[in-house]
Amino acid sequence: MRPGGAAGATGGAVGTPLNLLEVRGLTVTYLTQTAPLPTLDKVDLDVATGECVGLFGESGAGKTTLALALLRLLPRTATVSGSVHLDGVDVTNTTWGRLRALRWKAASIVFQGATQALNPVQRVGGQIEEPILLHERSSGTIARSRAAALLRQVGLPPAAAGAYPHELSGGERQRALIAMALACDPRLVVADEPTTALDTVRQAQILDLITGLVTGHGRAMLLISHDLRLLSSTCDRIAVMHAGRIVEEGTPAEVCAGGRHPQTRALLTAHTRIRALRHRHRPRPPSPAGHVGVPVLAADDLVVIHPARRGRNVRAVDGVRLDLAAGEIVAVVGESGCGKTTLARALVGMHPPTGGEIRVDGVPLRPTGPWLRAHRRRVQLVLQDPGSALDPRHTVYDAVAEGLRIHRLRPPGGEPAAVAAALVRAGLQAPETFFGRYPQELSGGLRQRVVIAGALILQPRVLIADEPVSSLDAAARADVLTLLLDLRDRSGLAALVISHDLELAWSIADRVAVMYLGRIIEVGPAQQVLGSPAHPYTAALLAAMPQPFTPLAATLDGEPPRTSSLPGGCRFHPRCPVLLTGTADAAGIGHACRTVEPEPLPAVGPAVACHYAAAEHRS
Amino acid sequence: MTAGRAMRRAAGRVDARGRVAVAVIGAYLVLAIAAPLLITPADLSAVGAPGAPHLPPSARFPLGTDVYGRSMLAVTVWGTRVSLTVGLSATAVAIGVGAVAGIVAGHFRGRLVAVLMHVTDWFLAMPTLVLAAVLTGVLRPGAGPVVLAIGLTSWPATARLVRAQTLVVEAQPHVDRAKVLGAGHWHVIRHHVLAAVAPLIVVQASLTVSAAVLTEATLAFLGQADPIVVSWGTTLQQARDAGSVSAGHWWILFPPGAAIVVLGLAFTECGRAVQRALRVGPWEHP
Amino acid sequence: MRGSDRGRPVWPVRRLRHIGAKLAGAVTSQVAVLVAAFLLFRVLPGDPVRAMTRGRPINATQLANLRAELGVDDPLPSQFATYVGLLLHGDLGTSFQYRLPVADLIGARLGATVALVGTATVLAAVTGLWSGAWSAWYAGGVVDRVGTAAAVTLWSVPTFWLGLVLLAVFGGGLGPLPGLFPTGGIETPGVSGFGPVALDRLWHLTLPCLTLTAVIHAQYLLVMRSSVLAVRDSAFLTTARAKGLSDAAVRRRHAVPNAYLPSATLIALNLGGVVSGAVVVETVFSWPGLGSLFYEALTVPDLPLLQGLFLTITSAVIVMNLLADLSYPLLDPRVEVA
Repeated sequence: MRPGGAAGATGGAVGTPLNLLEVRGLTVTYLTQTAPLPTLDKVDLDVATGECVGLFGESGAGKTTLALALLRLLPRTATVSGSVHLDGVDVTNTTWGRLRALRWKAASIVFQGATQALNPVQRVGGQIEEPILLHERSSGTIARSRAAALLRQVGLPPAAAGAYPHELSGGERQRALIAMALACDPRLVVADEPTTALDTVRQAQILDLITGLVTGHGRAMLLISHDLRLLSSTCDRIAVMHAGRIVEEGTPAEVCAGGRHPQTRALLTAHTRIRALRHRHRPRPPSPAGHVGVPVLAADDLVVIHPARRGRNVRAVDGVRLDLAAGEIVAVVGESGCGKTTLARALVGMHPPTGGEIRVDGVPLRPTGPWLRAHRRRVQLVLQDPGSALDPRHTVYDAVAEGLRIHRLRPPGGEPAAVAAALVRAGLQAPETFFGRYPQELSGGLRQRVVIAGALILQPRVLIADEPVSSLDAAARADVLTLLLDLRDRSGLAALVISHDLELAWSIADRVAVMYLGRIIEVGPAQQVLGSPAHPYTAALLAAMPQPFTPLAATLDGEPPRTSSLPGGCRFHPRCPVLLTGTADAAGIGHACRTVEPEPLPAVGPAVACHYAAAEHRS
Repeated sequence: MTAGRAMRRAAGRVDARGRVAVAVIGAYLVLAIAAPLLITPADLSAVGAPGAPHLPPSARFPLGTDVYGRSMLAVTVWGTRVSLTVGLSATAVAIGVGAVAGIVAGHFRGRLVAVLMHVTDWFLAMPTLVLAAVLTGVLRPGAGPVVLAIGLTSWPATARLVRAQTLVVEAQPHVDRAKVLGAGHWHVIRHHVLAAVAPLIVVQASLTVSAAVLTEATLAFLGQADPIVVSWGTTLQQARDAGSVSAGHWWILFPPGAAIVVLGLAFTECGRAVQRALRVGPWEHP
Repeated sequence: MRGSDRGRPVWPVRRLRHIGAKLAGAVTSQVAVLVAAFLLFRVLPGDPVRAMTRGRPINATQLANLRAELGVDDPLPSQFATYVGLLLHGDLGTSFQYRLPVADLIGARLGATVALVGTATVLAAVTGLWSGAWSAWYAGGVVDRVGTAAAVTLWSVPTFWLGLVLLAVFGGGLGPLPGLFPTGGIETPGVSGFGPVALDRLWHLTLPCLTLTAVIHAQYLLVMRSSVLAVRDSAFLTTARAKGLSDAAVRRRHAVPNAYLPSATLIALNLGGVVSGAVVVETVFSWPGLGSLFYEALTVPDLPLLQGLFLTITSAVIVMNLLADLSYPLLDPRVEVA
């Protein structure tokens, strides 16, 4: 099956106006100080007017380079060959003047990372007006009104025009970027990972917005993402990219069904492995009500307050009760900003709790030096980004041995033997080969294992993992998750996994706790919480997860309020679909939702902090 | 220790310009140490000078004679001693105090640290030369007060930079990880901060020597150095007072100034070369 | 908009609080300067009178009068109280060598210094900042390499020596070249009338101003260059290019404005250096300003005059730093305003 080329929607010849974008044999090589780095290799791609094409590939496959090449935005160190025809014009060979005229008018780009893509010292309105003034040569007033209209279209208030980028939230910045991309009414919009680092709810909102404004208005879209589920629910066609080449192209059904190319199959397999993990390992039998014996880690009415600079405090963790039994994996899930990272840091002892108590094996944690040191031996932390979690100046050996050296431990058999044993326990065979390596030389998955080995060498009872796999690609992800399950089964290591990824929670957690604005609002066995959620928020999170072939629908509007200015009553009530659709009032508990905050949940569950769910349960 | 490893690897990557700079510094050092072997006290005596004053260059005096009649070549070579001695000692004081203050201010928190930072900022805002001149003017002019004055006015710049770098390093997740593993202050500073800060200190030291040499010469020119000791700044001051400037005696003006410029440039370039060498490499901060 | 903006005080109140905070900081620095000056000129020399009269012929009555005048034999706390009291009345003491009030001496010479420093700073800002931005944008090119090399060299040249060289070449004349400029001072005696006097003064200003401008230009160039270089790899510049802006427009409208704040902070940090440079230049060219007055005071040492000059100079630096601090929010909206 020949990738690309004739698989385009119309199969037109080069230059036929029906194909808005035609890429033929695009090859890009970066010149570096060492050796030339080939990035794109004879890429062929077509996008017809009004079509939505998805570009799928792992990080490093060259997707962003392709996007930049479409408008000839690559730096001078890149050698480009092949052709890119945009709206009939050969971008790679045209004059500088025509190229500038083409940019943003024929095609515009919604860049990855809205925070970096906007000029920090220029007002948002000005940045949107800039291309309008440049291309349309219209007056300032017309440009201003156009910009205001665009802001309205993306759901931002007109006041946003006068704001600077840092005054907006992450989601608002992304919307501003979209408004800016539409400023000159382009025929093609290239969206480069528009929803990375956003949680599922915001992800659905942004995608909804983009698809509505782009394909809904007859514009073509090239959607770039490493999330295949996302692409399959939005695009007409998907092109799969691997190591700089288009290896596969077809409808979402064709691509997701397994693909014909071995690379596609490998990528898909990695995705499905995560789901299959659930079935490979024997799930821990759910314990009867109340745990047998003392929980290995317990949080009791834990409160952590961040003193904010402007005098208003942020209650990041507001009354959390959570128990972790030996040999159990509990996942804490929630939107970004709900307090789960603060919870993790407090449990490890990095952030002294403002109220409540933390107990390890029944012994309360005290913030003083010697207690903390002993605590470190029992509870360890694995952080999100293994790249920065390891000191680039230390070898793997130094990194793993650091724990021993800090506590001045002399393991029987010597330090090297203990380091080797920890590396093996973390799944790295032939550990001696890793001793002298530096973290930069290893892939993300291997680095994370080194971090885990460094934690394991102290032989903790509990491992707390804060987004342990979110920065890894699918294959490494599956490996690390399998490792956690192995550790649970073989050595009874308890783990608390913090994540915004519900699928991850589904694959490895025995119990799941859902967090919202500093409180746990639902807790229980994974099967129950994720399979038949009782709290409307959990249900919304699950519904927002992209499913293959199903168009995405934003399930929740707006953003969660700041924890420094909470609404009265149930924290979730301003966004709760049950309340907003009138169902709660019909059931007679709407008033309670607005005024009475549900009680904090017990440590084990199953339990849900929702008046409506409680009422339903009673009836 | 990782700081040493970092430095050794950086040293191997210094480019051609840096090596030239180091060679120049080496040449100055050799001259300074060898000077007593080449020049006798008689050559430097102002009263019983070997030649007539203000003589242009000739075979006997390749760089001519100064306002007293001493060989300019001898005077210029001898000047390396004072400049290097004062420059290096003042830098040692400045960097020593600055590095410690910087690491302490970056690592610890609290009232005392805030006060320390205010003091540092205050010193930074002060005009260095004015402060140094006042110090030497109030105490008797001489090498000691000059070293003290330069050291006291140069440490804040290093402290500021070291503090900033310490803050950057300590914000990295790998320091968090060390703390989670149970690291105390000393472990974090020794194993994580020092390695990150050592290269910066070396660069700063190099740049500070350059500035110190300039400041010493300027203070000498302003009459704040020991008038008996032969130094470049003093020579230029004497030249000006004797009217050599308007008379166009370029051989008296040029060599001391050029010597200062070349030494200053060498140290500056050396510092920048180390900076460049460290930018390349596997441990560029993400 | 962000929920956190709800409940924050209105814009003018925040600005006023910010200004107040900075003012308080400046006042604290000023008080520190006062204390430091007292320590430097009364405490450090041990016996200030002996320090001043060292090796000088002076009889017993003069010595006694001097001691009484400076209040040297009073206990330190009362000396400090007198000192502060006098300062608040604008009395900076009496110069030892001139027997005139220090405040008058300073007042008379202030204008010349302001003229020199002001002209040099404005010229250097215009040339240095622009060439710095240009050098960084086309980094590696011929203009950049030559300009940066020149700037680094100028940075290593002692200001006084640069002045001496310029004086020798253009003032005194070197070999066959005639001297075109005066060798010092601010005016030629015998010139009268507003126009000729102004021209004469400008003629005398040329060399000292050129010296000071050259050194400040080098510093500003290097500062602006490093700031723009830091911005050059930013993602928002790619966005600007993608919108179809020309290279020059990207530099002018997006890159350079982001370099203002780091440049301004570095420039403010070096204000003290500019002042030091002025002192040296005035000494070399006998320009009758505060710098040469400082030199004259150093040679004695005229402690009261030195103290007055020290206070004036450092206060000026504090005020300039305050103004710079207050300008930061205008340069970069991300700067925290209370």
